[in-house]
Amino acid sequence: MSLLNISCKKATYLISKKEQGKISLFDRLTLWLHLGICSLCKRFEKQTGFIIKQAKHTHTEEKLSEEAKERISKVLDSSY
Amino acid sequence: MSPSVQATDWVNKYGDILYNYTLKRVSDKGLAEDLVQDTFLSAWKSRDTYKSEASEKTWLFAICKNKIIDHYRKKSTSNVQYAEVDTSSNFFDEAEHWTREDQPNEWGINYHQPVETKEFYGILDFCKKKLQEMQQSVFVMKYMDDLSAEEICKVLNISSSNYWVLIHRAKLQLRKCLELNWINS
Ligand SMILES: [Zn+2]
Repeated sequence: MSLLNISCKKATYLISKKEQGKISLFDRLTLWLHLGICSLCKRFEKQTGFIIKQAKHTHTEEKLSEEAKERISKVLDSSY
Repeated sequence: MSPSVQATDWVNKYGDILYNYTLKRVSDKGLAEDLVQDTFLSAWKSRDTYKSEASEKTWLFAICKNKIIDHYRKKSTSNVQYAEVDTSSNFFDEAEHWTREDQPNEWGINYHQPVETKEFYGILDFCKKKLQEMQQSVFVMKYMDDLSAEEICKVLNISSSNYWVLIHRAKLQLRKCLELNWINS
């Protein structure tokens, strides 16, 4: 029975493997059992899933400074 | 691309988007500028051989992506200490259960509803940059550039188990950082 019991540390590690489709059948079973009884790890899975989805579209806009643009243009012009 | 194209036009047209893209993947503005400059320079030198099978923008982004990966690659061979990751985190106790201070708390949000606020992305960006450099590289390559685990291991010269440890640590830290700065603020 203890073979099927995994710690929260192990469970959170396996969550990434599952998410990336790199989990063994046995690990999938132990993770499933753990998530059935552990609300904290379940929450971790939901929250990190959310973060990953959000990370895909990033929205802060930063502009290249005018000086940098000018400098780069000059570098290009003088590169031949 | 037409031979009459002006360097200035080009930099004005694509400078900001390339810079923005790069800055999200490296933590330093000066470095991001250098990488953008390198990108333009490589593109500029090969502009005569460029054939318009892909759009100009796609072509520039491909070059830019390679410059960033090159940067990571150089970093990982010059700083060997990055390969060693502290796995004895404070997130879990000796029994490997969540510690009270690091356990995930309820966020009270709809996890299926994307958040589009500038504030959120500002915090996510901040938290990402607080990650140890290798964790950041792995996270960005995996979740923003969509590279496979195998490609990432090859580029960063790390083992597969190292990769999973880095992903694990990055997520633990990002989650905690977001909870502190976004949820509890
Ligand atoms: Zn747990």
